[in-house]
Amino acid sequence: MSSNPVRDLPMSPGQPAPPEPQGAPSGESNPIREAIAEAIAEHKVILFMKGTPEAPGCGFSARTVAALQSLDTPFAAVDILPDPRIRQELSAISDWPTIPQLFVNGELVGGCDIVTEMYESGELAQALL
Amino acid sequence: MPSPEDISQRIEAAIPGSRAEVEDYTGGGDHFRATVTAEAFAGRSRIDQHRLVYDVFGAEIGGAIHALSLKTLVPQQAAPQPQTAEQPTPTQ
Repeated sequence: MSSNPVRDLPMSPGQPAPPEPQGAPSGESNPIREAIAEAIAEHKVILFMKGTPEAPGCGFSARTVAALQSLDTPFAAVDILPDPRIRQELSAISDWPTIPQLFVNGELVGGCDIVTEMYESGELAQALL
Repeated sequence: MPSPEDISQRIEAAIPGSRAEVEDYTGGGDHFRATVTAEAFAGRSRIDQHRLVYDVFGAEIGGAIHALSLKTLVPQQAAPQPQTAEQPTPTQ
């Protein structure tokens, strides 16, 4: 199932296209969203988290950092706390509601639960190769 | 404030045939841990399995529900169910 935000738009073939939904940021210039997308594209492993790897602001972020560090993986980290729009735009891009979010090679791998599960099964080490 | 039972019922109502075991692991009514077993997860990535569950709550995740920690299983991965007396009796 696609969890695309446009899924709820009425799509009836033969009808004129519905007007642009009001307030939808798509198509508009959105510097924060663009910066996030760029950061994801530019870093092989990037973690969006609360706080920093040295001082995580939440237990879930701390656990995810610990999994990456114990695999000796270099990773970029973005603190989402300074500006609520970062989290908003990140979740809009990733269709994932919670923090942290780990991206590898431009793809969302998951949050703390999935990363922890994959760490324990050895899949995380594989995914980071 | 949602209770673990509320969360469980909402998941089971939204994902047909699912079983959800939910606990409030801080006792504060906003951090929950759920194990969800559903046939609907078959053939989906973990990410998509978790999205199906998160989608039940929309913006409540991160709001009233500060955290919903998830473990998702398809029925074959879950512990085998004990056989019930409803097993058909072999004929002859």
